[in-house]
Amino acid sequence: MNTPALLEGLRFIDTFFPSGGYAFSSGLEAAIQGGAVKNSDQLASYVGDLLRGGMSRREALAVKWANQAGSHGKVSLAAEVDRELDSTKLSRESRMASRQMGRQVIRMAADQLRAKTVLGEYRDAIESEQAPGHLAVCFGLTLGVSGWEPEATVAAFLYQTAVGFVSAAMRLSPIGQHEGQRILSEWLPLIDRISRETGSETTMMSSWSPIQDIYSMRHGRLEWRLFRS
Amino acid sequence: MQASTGPRKKTASGRRTAQKRKTPEKRSPSGKRSTSPTFSTEFIGRVGELRLDYAKPDRRTIIAHSYFTTPWKLLPPIYLDDTGAAYTLLVNPSGGLVGGDHLSIDMGLDRDAHVLISSPSANRVYRSESKVSQQHINITVGPGAILEWVPEHTIPFAGSRFRQILHATLAPGATLLLWDAVASGRIAREERWAFTDLENEIRITTASGNSLLERYVLDSATDLGCVGLAEEWNYVASFYVVNDAVVSDTWSRLESKIASVLDERPDHVLGGVSTPTVPGVAIKLLTRTAPDLTYMLDTLWAAIREELWNLPPISLRKY
Repeated sequence: MNTPALLEGLRFIDTFFPSGGYAFSSGLEAAIQGGAVKNSDQLASYVGDLLRGGMSRREALAVKWANQAGSHGKVSLAAEVDRELDSTKLSRESRMASRQMGRQVIRMAADQLRAKTVLGEYRDAIESEQAPGHLAVCFGLTLGVSGWEPEATVAAFLYQTAVGFVSAAMRLSPIGQHEGQRILSEWLPLIDRISRETGSETTMMSSWSPIQDIYSMRHGRLEWRLFRS
Repeated sequence: MQASTGPRKKTASGRRTAQKRKTPEKRSPSGKRSTSPTFSTEFIGRVGELRLDYAKPDRRTIIAHSYFTTPWKLLPPIYLDDTGAAYTLLVNPSGGLVGGDHLSIDMGLDRDAHVLISSPSANRVYRSESKVSQQHINITVGPGAILEWVPEHTIPFAGSRFRQILHATLAPGATLLLWDAVASGRIAREERWAFTDLENEIRITTASGNSLLERYVLDSATDLGCVGLAEEWNYVASFYVVNDAVVSDTWSRLESKIASVLDERPDHVLGGVSTPTVPGVAIKLLTRTAPDLTYMLDTLWAAIREELWNLPPISLRKY
């Protein structure tokens, strides 16, 4: 990857990017209130479990396929992946959060990377409701168009997800910055492995994270909430 | 050897139904039987088909056409109340699935038919050294028809390999209640989450073409396919209710009721409910014991029937 491509992609990974991710906890808030996550070790276990069972064969696969669709200019393939991902997201809050963040990414990318026409086409597809616009797909498409390899794009997506969980946990529980960095470093080998292995063994999305799915479903009924998911 | 037609039996509706003995003959692309003289008996009783077509010619739903091969058996439908709903038990008297078994169910509900489906006992999947035990289910629910699909749970034994694929397609105004539950294993033997592979795919597609998809693949070969944090629980279940003609207020009320039910046993049940991508509700839950699982099924099912049709809970006769 050349340096301009690296820099272009980094903007979309940075927490400074206005995707609205700071407003979502992906069910972590419900898990903390429900007593499933009480300390940093349980947080590491909860998110690690989600990365392995819940995302390695679903979001990671969607990112990889969208990246390839972006690099080959295949909008219809990205839309197909997007719809399939949408159908697997049973929790309304998580689904809407993913769609909102994805739309922010594709709008910004299409507006600022006008030479990459596939991004504008995909934004139009989303706005005409031909595609739901999930974050994994919009992110993968954008970085694919920007010249990122699938493996690096998957790793970046999972890293961004992991950072989002740590950030949410620091606001919801007494986990400090040093502890947050320690947990992140523990997840890096897993993220690296998923980014290399995803898609090598399957051609279908699948996901197994019943506990995290249930807490995501339960979030909407919490009496008090800091986050929107 | 060619397939021979088995005895013809009468259904409860009085119509005739054919029980054919299944042979594994290959068919050419034109659909005609191969004339190959070779024949293997290894598929008899292991590749079973069940075809059920329901219709509602008057007040009652009947089985208009049926076809089954060993190990499936078909009993006449039972009418448990005065709604005319036909209750059918999926009977597989062979005791369970072994490696290489491939059972299929193809079910169609005609307009306004109302069908309840269950099974007499848990679906046991035995240890297999290599071959997968498979169950493929294809369901079509016609306009205004109702299918309440509430089979007993699946018990994957230690070392078992099981794959289930269930696809349901709904016409406008059709309703599907679909319960699917899996145990961690033979819990009384302290055999938990010890299967080799477990794959499950449920896809429900509405008339708009949108679909709800649950697909998981658990395999012991990689930690990316491990059971993970769910290991502390013993039963995992999903309950889906889909109908594209029900107004959103009804789903909101139902969601609230279900959320209350799921909170009734906080230390024994962890559950959540939400609205999926198709009109309806999706419920996921984990329980520690079979009685908790059964209680949840009964209570959730009762809440759904009351909210959608103002019908009382129904007690399924199984023995």
